[in-house]
Amino acid sequence: MLWIAIHLPLLSLESFAATLGAGQQAWPLALLDGARISAVNRAAAALGIKPGLKRATALALAPGLLFGQADAARDAQAQVAVAHAALAFTPSVCLQGERTVLLEVNTTLRAFGGLPKLVDRLQNATQPLGLTQHLATAPTALGATLLAQWRERIETIGPHTTDIVALRRLLGAAPVWLLGPGREHWEALQGMGLRTLADLRALPRAGLARRFGEALLTDLDRARGDAPDPREWLVLAETFESRLELFARADSTEQVLHGAATLLQRLVAWARAQQARVARFTLAMHHEPRHRADGTTPERTTLDIALAEASNDSVHLQTLLRERLGRLPLPAPTLELRLHCNDLVRRAPPNVELFPTRASEREGLVRLVERLQARLGRAQVLRVQRVADHRPECATRLQPLDPGAPPPREAPLPPAEPAGQPAAHLTRPVWLLREPQPLVEQRLLPLLDGRPLQMLAGPERIEAGWWDGAPTARDYFVAQTHDGSLVWVYRARLPTAEGGWFLQGRFA
Amino acid sequence: MDLMPLVAPRVPRLSVPVPGHAEGRAGLPTPEQIHPALWRAHQIGCLRQATLATGFDALDAELPGAGWPKRVLTELLLPHPGVGEMRLLAPALAAVAQGRAGIARSVMLFDPPAVLCGWALAQLGVDGQQLIVVHGREGSRGAALRNLLSNADLFWALEQALKSGHVGAVLAWLPDRLRADALRRLQLAAQSHDGPVFLLRGIEARLKPSAAPLRLALHGAGPDELSVHLLKRRGPALAEPLRLALPPVLPPVLRARAESARMPARSGA
Repeated sequence: MLWIAIHLPLLSLESFAATLGAGQQAWPLALLDGARISAVNRAAAALGIKPGLKRATALALAPGLLFGQADAARDAQAQVAVAHAALAFTPSVCLQGERTVLLEVNTTLRAFGGLPKLVDRLQNATQPLGLTQHLATAPTALGATLLAQWRERIETIGPHTTDIVALRRLLGAAPVWLLGPGREHWEALQGMGLRTLADLRALPRAGLARRFGEALLTDLDRARGDAPDPREWLVLAETFESRLELFARADSTEQVLHGAATLLQRLVAWARAQQARVARFTLAMHHEPRHRADGTTPERTTLDIALAEASNDSVHLQTLLRERLGRLPLPAPTLELRLHCNDLVRRAPPNVELFPTRASEREGLVRLVERLQARLGRAQVLRVQRVADHRPECATRLQPLDPGAPPPREAPLPPAEPAGQPAAHLTRPVWLLREPQPLVEQRLLPLLDGRPLQMLAGPERIEAGWWDGAPTARDYFVAQTHDGSLVWVYRARLPTAEGGWFLQGRFA
Repeated sequence: MDLMPLVAPRVPRLSVPVPGHAEGRAGLPTPEQIHPALWRAHQIGCLRQATLATGFDALDAELPGAGWPKRVLTELLLPHPGVGEMRLLAPALAAVAQGRAGIARSVMLFDPPAVLCGWALAQLGVDGQQLIVVHGREGSRGAALRNLLSNADLFWALEQALKSGHVGAVLAWLPDRLRADALRRLQLAAQSHDGPVFLLRGIEARLKPSAAPLRLALHGAGPDELSVHLLKRRGPALAEPLRLALPPVLPPVLRARAESARMPARSGA
């Protein structure tokens, strides 16, 4: 058995910092426990503030200090997020205490190419969650936990021991307060001169158990590998629910996005733990209750984002969320964010290859169209579809592009014109005006920009549409303007208010 | 007292390679042999990156690299939309839409000035299924509805399409008034786009400087002919405009009739 322990020493402080805005995270922060400070961040430590100081003393040292309270539920969510990120590497993950995540990696070492590479990848995977972590490796679970907690003051990466003898030697020098029961009885143990675990082992076991309880001996045995330590593995939740209460109310999109970024990282970690990709998710923004006379302010706003191509790329999800949020007006400032997801796709991901293949090109194009539609609106990204109708304005339809769906069948080309080869001569102009422009008539010829048009190609009669209420009867001519460009004009044979001649399009 | 005559200090004469010699003095290579990105003003530059054949031999002969350049901007300046620009670009767009080795790539059009006719494009050989039309500025109704930040959206969409690298060709109709650095940013974004980028603007932009390395001005010169002025290219300026024969709209009989009708009018006037 080989265990990796991930210890999160500043979990409470950092999960509190996640609720702050983007600029405030660099400020000096401190966590209050009653009237005393329990944790400080680097900026505050640089100003001389230490855990154990009183609130008033700290404020005197640093007037700009930001105080927060530790919240067990918030810390638990952050710890579970780290466990989800670790689940991508092994199915055996469990939580230890409130700040440590344990992984059993003996079975997956070979898949990841050895312990150093596994540790590297593990650190890369948990780094986006934004928590300081200390890792240690040992043959026993509690032993790894102790090593991860112990070395936090000396080096960031704990020692990696894979040998039980080396572990026992290391643990012999470890201080007693690392053990949970040892911390409770620390004063008594110190008074007796017992500082390290080796000292504890030198004493008779019966006496120790009588004085300090069985728990101390049990933990010691489990850490050294003398007693079994069965664990229950973490079970992954079926749906993803995570909430973040913001420290200050969010008035702008950027502030909401900053808070949502943390939640999206947790979502991606949960999806990756199941080797799946996110297909849709919902962000609910709970608003500050405003006591209005009409009482019409909604309690929350829900934003539902469905992806055309499921992905677990947090950057892509953030981009989509940013574009959609940018167009959504929020009725009131936001106090709390909740992310919900129960729609995953478990198919194999598309291959990432060196040279572009049809599938990778299509997937890249789908993502691009998704981004454009998220920002501009679904009706602004269109596909051109041919319709079998003789009336030119109905013969082409622009429809919103559905990126994931296959292209619909469109009217086939006439057999005289095979696709991919140009025709002998064009019969239709490339540009059609949205509304036919009426032309002034002079001496039976239409004028465009004050100059008479010269008719070049004879009348083509189109009569259609009597079946759906828009009958058209027109004679189309190809005409040349004074500067040499060709236009398509028609003479309406049904009486109209604007006269006879109209400009339909230009041969570009 | 006699004044010492002033004598100029002796400086060694630098040898300048004379143009036209294959090698300079003593076997020094000429600039264009050192690197393909170097070229002299009297030569047409040769582009190391791939180009896309235009489909018109006369134009291919005058363009550096013998085709539309990829990964850079190409500007086409028109007096008004509809002089023949789509027929000029049709062979290149058809080649892109068909693709190489079975990978068809899409053609994106940003803010076309009018509605595209799918049947006309099919007659030109462009596969309509690969076309994507993006209205960056206004809705398809033609009236500016609510998009007051219209230009910003259009340029953002253009940059996204260019940077993604999955689009085959891009055509964009730009507004008249641009920010000074807008074209510069598009040029930088175009470097990650494997294909030609065509910016179509009004003819009054010919007096404004632009970051695009190739600029053409198009004027109609007859029913199925186009006159192309090469305003800017990597090479010497072209004195006379090119006359290109576009894919015809008129059948040959009618074209001959139109020509003969025009000739006496010209000779008469």
